[in-house]
Amino acid sequence: MSFDTTDDNVTVRTKVSRETPARRFMREFAASRLAVASLVVLALVVLLAIFASVIAPQNPYSLLQLNVMNGQLPPGSSSLDGSQVFWLGTDDQGRDMLSGILYGLRISLGVGVSSALVGAVIGTSLGLIAAYLGGRIETFIMRLVDLQLSFPAILVALMILAFLGKGILNVVIALVIAEWAIYARTARGAALAERRKEYIEAAEALDVPRLRIVFHHLLPNCLPPLIVVATAQLARAIVLEATLSFLGVGVPVTQPSLGLLVANGYQYMLYGQYWISFFPGLALLIIIVAINLVGDRLRDVLNPRRQA
Amino acid sequence: MMGVGDRVPNSENEPAPLLDVRNLRVWFDTREGTAKAVDDVSFTLHKGKILGLVGESGSGKSMTGFSIMGLLDSPGRIAGGQVLFQGKDLVRMKAENLRKIRGKRIAMIFQDPMMTLNPVLRIDTQMIEAILAHENVPRHVARARARDALAMVGIPSPEERLSAYPHQFSGGMRQRVAIATALLHRPDLIIADEPTTALDVTIQAQIIAEVQKLVRDLGMALIWITHDLSVVARLADEVAVMYAGQIVEHGGVSDIVNHPKHPYTAGLLDSVPSRSAPGRPLHQIDGVAPSALNLPSGCAFRSRCRHADASCWSMPPPSVAGDHMYRCFHPLSEEPSDPAQTVEARIFADVAASGSQNNQAPVIELCGVSRRFSRSFGLIERGLAKIGLGQKNLVVQAVKNVDLIVEKRTVVGLVGESGCGKSTLGRIATGVLHASDGEVRWNGRNIDTLPIVQRRAEKLRTQMIYQNPFASLNPRLRVAEIIAEAPRVHSLIEGSENDYVDAQLQRAGLDPLLKWRYPHQLSGGQRQRVGIARALAVRPEILVCDESVAALDVSIQAQIINLFMRLRGDLGLTYLFISHDLGVVRHISDRVAVMYLGQIVEEAPAAEIFSQPNHPYTQLLLEEMPRIDTRRRTFPLLKGELPSPLAPPGGCSFHPRCPHAFHRCKIEEPQIRQVAPGHRSACHLNDAV
Amino acid sequence: MFAWLIRRLGQAFIVMLIMTVIVFIGVSVIGDPVQTLLPPDADQAERLRVIAQFGLDKPLWEQYLVFLEGAVHGNFGQSFVFGQPALSVIFQRMPATFELALSATLLSAIVGVPLGLYAGLRPDSPVSKTIMGGSVLGFSLPTFWVGLLLIMVFAVGLGWLPASGRGATREFLGVQWSFLTWDGIQHLILPSINLALFQIAMMVRLVRAGVSEILPQEYVKFARAKGVAELRVIGVHVMKNIMIPVVTISGLEFGTVIAFSVVTESIFSWPGMGKLIIDSIYQLDRPMIVAYLMIIVLIFVVINLVVDVLYTLLDPRVRLDSRSG
Repeated sequence: MSFDTTDDNVTVRTKVSRETPARRFMREFAASRLAVASLVVLALVVLLAIFASVIAPQNPYSLLQLNVMNGQLPPGSSSLDGSQVFWLGTDDQGRDMLSGILYGLRISLGVGVSSALVGAVIGTSLGLIAAYLGGRIETFIMRLVDLQLSFPAILVALMILAFLGKGILNVVIALVIAEWAIYARTARGAALAERRKEYIEAAEALDVPRLRIVFHHLLPNCLPPLIVVATAQLARAIVLEATLSFLGVGVPVTQPSLGLLVANGYQYMLYGQYWISFFPGLALLIIIVAINLVGDRLRDVLNPRRQA
Repeated sequence: MMGVGDRVPNSENEPAPLLDVRNLRVWFDTREGTAKAVDDVSFTLHKGKILGLVGESGSGKSMTGFSIMGLLDSPGRIAGGQVLFQGKDLVRMKAENLRKIRGKRIAMIFQDPMMTLNPVLRIDTQMIEAILAHENVPRHVARARARDALAMVGIPSPEERLSAYPHQFSGGMRQRVAIATALLHRPDLIIADEPTTALDVTIQAQIIAEVQKLVRDLGMALIWITHDLSVVARLADEVAVMYAGQIVEHGGVSDIVNHPKHPYTAGLLDSVPSRSAPGRPLHQIDGVAPSALNLPSGCAFRSRCRHADASCWSMPPPSVAGDHMYRCFHPLSEEPSDPAQTVEARIFADVAASGSQNNQAPVIELCGVSRRFSRSFGLIERGLAKIGLGQKNLVVQAVKNVDLIVEKRTVVGLVGESGCGKSTLGRIATGVLHASDGEVRWNGRNIDTLPIVQRRAEKLRTQMIYQNPFASLNPRLRVAEIIAEAPRVHSLIEGSENDYVDAQLQRAGLDPLLKWRYPHQLSGGQRQRVGIARALAVRPEILVCDESVAALDVSIQAQIINLFMRLRGDLGLTYLFISHDLGVVRHISDRVAVMYLGQIVEEAPAAEIFSQPNHPYTQLLLEEMPRIDTRRRTFPLLKGELPSPLAPPGGCSFHPRCPHAFHRCKIEEPQIRQVAPGHRSACHLNDAV
Repeated sequence: MFAWLIRRLGQAFIVMLIMTVIVFIGVSVIGDPVQTLLPPDADQAERLRVIAQFGLDKPLWEQYLVFLEGAVHGNFGQSFVFGQPALSVIFQRMPATFELALSATLLSAIVGVPLGLYAGLRPDSPVSKTIMGGSVLGFSLPTFWVGLLLIMVFAVGLGWLPASGRGATREFLGVQWSFLTWDGIQHLILPSINLALFQIAMMVRLVRAGVSEILPQEYVKFARAKGVAELRVIGVHVMKNIMIPVVTISGLEFGTVIAFSVVTESIFSWPGMGKLIIDSIYQLDRPMIVAYLMIIVLIFVVINLVVDVLYTLLDPRVRLDSRSG
């Protein structure tokens, strides 16, 4: 992208690049093949989750399809009647692990994404409000944030679920409460840093309307750290839900997430029937690794210290 | 056999040089290609001599210094050449041997004193380790030596200072510690990389004087790397000018300064404001330096040189050896023509003349303006303060009781060192900041009493140009949007928006095609011009320039200053020009006000303030003003540090540093009073008749 | 400094107070307060007795004061399951959890810091890339899953180490510790690794980020310019600066480790506080839940306080920042 400008007053000799910041960002992101591969994996996972009911060879929650005689079969075995192959084995009830994982993906991703999203919206708004309004409101919000952040998320969520009981909605609520604070802190920090910059002061001196300053100037420049935090939080939310469900305080048995599937297979591990716990955990691992790799790449690309 | 850049030996018994750099090449391997930061540099330095290595940003001067020390960070590497120090090649030396030389025989001082010292280690730790790295002495002996070194560089109470941490020192003090550290082993050579650039002008003068004395007393060789020709003129014996990774001229200081041969050197010298008569356009070097990634074939300076011809474009110019070496096909042999003859100059002269005539109506009036910043402490501290343990808040009196008038179509320069409150005053003048006391009037009307609608309209008439070209533009907006946003919002655009934006860009000296770029795709000078175009787009009458050229290279600075002056003529603008650089202020202003610790200590027409300064601070600042002057001085004129605005001295705030202070100055604050027509000053000396 | 300490202690105190309010609300307002204090199989007479005894017919704020008074005296009621005061059960289990948390933290420091240092100093070497890749894996692995895998491989598959429980203990300073016996150490290994994995990954990334940020700093270059040996440049100049964020974050992470011990203790049947709380939640042993909550809050408040003080001690810029600027 080097130009041959010889003089500010002389016609620019080479073509001016019309690359928007967005396109430049995508190009830099894509420079890491690992990150792109992770993104592809994630897209695949999302598709699998959405179309689970169509793709899965079996609906593991429809009792009609189950035959307990098919239970505890190792991966690759066929069903008794030879109609299907259990690629990843079956659990104690005869449920196909593959199908179970596909359905479980829905819950895991659904809970994780929705809680991360809601947490992001709430946390970011509060953080921006705190930065913009300042004064007592800011102090109050930030004290709340500090309070929240002194306790690990898992304990906060555990306690909330201890009182609320099991259930998908409860899990989402618990996760949102456990996770919003970091968004608020990041948003406020970014907003405060940007506000001090001279281009904001220039906009004020030019008498640009305040609202426009906040949304057109301030917010877009605060996004980079928020995006990085959001991906990390998404991974954490998914793991947190899995952990809570594993411990038995998360999603109900009727709608098992990957974490609960792992819990189901715990006791069978000691008998060498590893696949009941292993594969759901592996699926979880793949998702988390992919999200973290994408998040790492995002952080490198969006690092404000990198200039062109 | 003479190599490139060798000096012709002028006597048979001339001793071998201490440092002999031959054909040094430093390359950086980046993703975009190989950047040739240093491209075939050769020079020699003898014991006891001071070499000034001069160049703008990107010229490769710092890289040369680092390479000599072997401190290049990857991806940089020495791609060729030799660095012979006392006959031994440092480039090919083993790392451990090089380490033994570093700090002991060759020492280095860096630019930013804030970052040179490790913030978590004590001063004595850092100095003692420098000693112990080369000598096996008992710790208390090393500590004693460190203490003596601190005393030598003029640090008071060195014993206490040794146990302190770096953040407890001011910038000037830290740099002195760095110098003391460099001197611990009495090295043969010191390389100083822009050591005073980050410091205030008065502190800079002190450090330069001290270094000069030390070097003379101890008989060392010194390489002083800087972009500031005035420093070099004062300090150096020889000057080497670098451009695009090469030395384009090298010779004795008076030769270079008075009879430069290379057009770049001449251009650089002429860009310094003190070289031109005030009000005249500065010599500017058009264009920008080439990128190290894309060095052109032929002479690197050709695209900016008035004398360039076909040979300059196709072949690298030969290096003409001798005592005064240069690389040019068309060296200068006579004084450049006086720019006062050009048409432009005549326009300037007219404008300058018209501006300083009859009393114009004041557009900005500051009457008794003060501004305090206070930060209250929390409940606990306030409680403790009530029982006498500590303070309840911190108050900084940034601006104290200032009266200032800016008349229409004039340029008022506001000058002072860092922390004197000039930026705060500028912001009060634009209405961005409110005054704690006093009145601000625009066109005769108190801005606080204006109805909102009128206040808004008035607000647009005063615009600010900021210092930092990086932070003053929204990185996510294209130039076109940056410029068009405000006039669009205020419905100032008649006709096509594109045309309007083009017009603003052209006024600021930029190609309209640049409007599709983003700020990160522009150079510092271009960004500053965009900032100017943005301000012009709302049709202001007054421009407040807050250190607007401080962050720019000298040649670019000249471009922007000329732009300001041209705009003044074309658009009839009024300026409040804030700067710490007296040379620039003198060049551009009609009237000058000098600030110290929040107060105006003197104000007068520009010519008068420079020819007949009244206040001692003004007098001393003038002595330190950067100018190309080969006079030597061995003692600093202004002692001490700028006091903290949190704890200003009693009486006249300048008295602790004033050479003429007497008893009254310590107890009574002087009032600012007229000492001559249109000339005010605040000093008790004016009364002592 | 003095004023700051007072303020900090005051803050800690206020946090504790707020937490008692929150816990109280959780216990009394959400759900049936009587349910909270009774085992699930109580009859009507029990109910009435409890209501009278705990004053549940009194106004809320009075109930809160009663609760607060109990809390101050360490009285949270009797555990249904154990039949002892809830607090004493927790105290019995605390050493086990602390032992686990401490060994995990130590592991993470011993393994993580050198690895992170290497990755920071030689970022382009294949070893560093492996280390960084490993760190991504390390903190992506769900703790519970890894625990299961560890059991499967080392306990069931290879039979090298025990799959559950705490080993034999020996007394030291009045408390039973298991790391003092060989059997105890054997039982300690797998759970510690399980807990430590995440921490090691974090530490590696933290140290590496610190190194890559500090290495290009001017003062490092200046140290080299003085001729200081490279070993000292890294060992003193770089390390001292890294230590500040590393120590403070490790301190905070100690709290997280205690939190995650909930998972590890469940998997390995480690008799610590974590397993206790999970069991208590299952068994609806609400007094235990309340007591655990308060103790945990106390632990975390203390940890945060200690970390803050440590930070002030480590960073001279903060410590010596006198008010006169």
